[in-house]
Amino acid sequence: MSTINFAAREINCKIVYYGPGMSGKTTNLKHVFSKVPGHLRGEMVSLATEDERTLFFDFLPLDLGSVQGFKTRFHLYTVPGQVFYNASRKLILRGVDGIVFVADSAPNRLRANAESMRNLRENLAEHGIDVREVPIVLQVNKRDVEGALPTEMIRAVIDPRKELTLFEATAHNGGGVFETLKSVSRLVLDRLAQNK
Amino acid sequence: MIEPSLALYGDAFERVDRHLEELLGATGVRYCLLVDRKGFVLSHKEALWAPRPPALDSVATLVASNAAATAALANMLGERTFSEQTHQGENGTLYVESVGDSALLTLIFDGSVPLGRVKVHTKKAIAGLAAILKELQDAPPIQLGEDFSHGATALLDDLFG
Repeated sequence: MSTINFAAREINCKIVYYGPGMSGKTTNLKHVFSKVPGHLRGEMVSLATEDERTLFFDFLPLDLGSVQGFKTRFHLYTVPGQVFYNASRKLILRGVDGIVFVADSAPNRLRANAESMRNLRENLAEHGIDVREVPIVLQVNKRDVEGALPTEMIRAVIDPRKELTLFEATAHNGGGVFETLKSVSRLVLDRLAQNK
Repeated sequence: MIEPSLALYGDAFERVDRHLEELLGATGVRYCLLVDRKGFVLSHKEALWAPRPPALDSVATLVASNAAATAALANMLGERTFSEQTHQGENGTLYVESVGDSALLTLIFDGSVPLGRVKVHTKKAIAGLAAILKELQDAPPIQLGEDFSHGATALLDDLFG
């Protein structure tokens, strides 16, 4: 749950972008960083390999402003998507308040999407949490790739019961990025207000 | 809920502040931060003479991630945890020590400060800080309510359209 600092009048929430490698998690954060006014965001920290694959995480602090006198801040993280970085993914999920699952629309990535969601469930379970206890929004990214799979086909493998709010996106040009972030932010803040 | 929330307020916050202030004076370090395991700054102090601090929320995030990775390594090697980390550069040192299971005390200092002195005083401060954080975990949950929800929604609309 969110960290509340009453004396400093601050509320901090942690949102993690999860999904298979190359699905566009870092691209989402880069777009947010490029569009949000400088006084509302902090430094973006990227721990990446030489070929720009996320090694540990990307991090971007974002100030929402003051709500009832509380400075409300989101800390946005990505996880490394590559299968072999699972230990890092598990660590980043620690203390998560909300998740954006970024799925890849490319025709050859259907299985990678499914495996990444299964991995998310398993990693949350290792923290002793059911996937339904955390606000999750589904972003189907790269809608502009050639031969992009139908959104419903992607949802069928990730969210067969259609429980998640879904956004289509093309993160490299910013399409759907803020809609997704707004949706997950609202879910997190609603839970905070309900004291869950 | 994966992690319990930490809510610092009132008397507890002031006591944490006093511990950090005393630690700063006793050791001569530049910056002193109490960070929760999620990577949020709970409280921080800096020496009056210290240069402008680095981005503290980034420092806190990296310190917490580093501590989490170190703890995972410890588990793999059959230890419950490695409770302290020291990173020494040519001109400065970063020293991090666990405060119970919920927080990390982080000190940043230059070459004029002996590491031994920092360790001695940090251990004293940790005993006091751990007791305060334990009290906070037993405190009743914070109620924010619907007004908070409405206010937050309005801000989201302003920021994200």
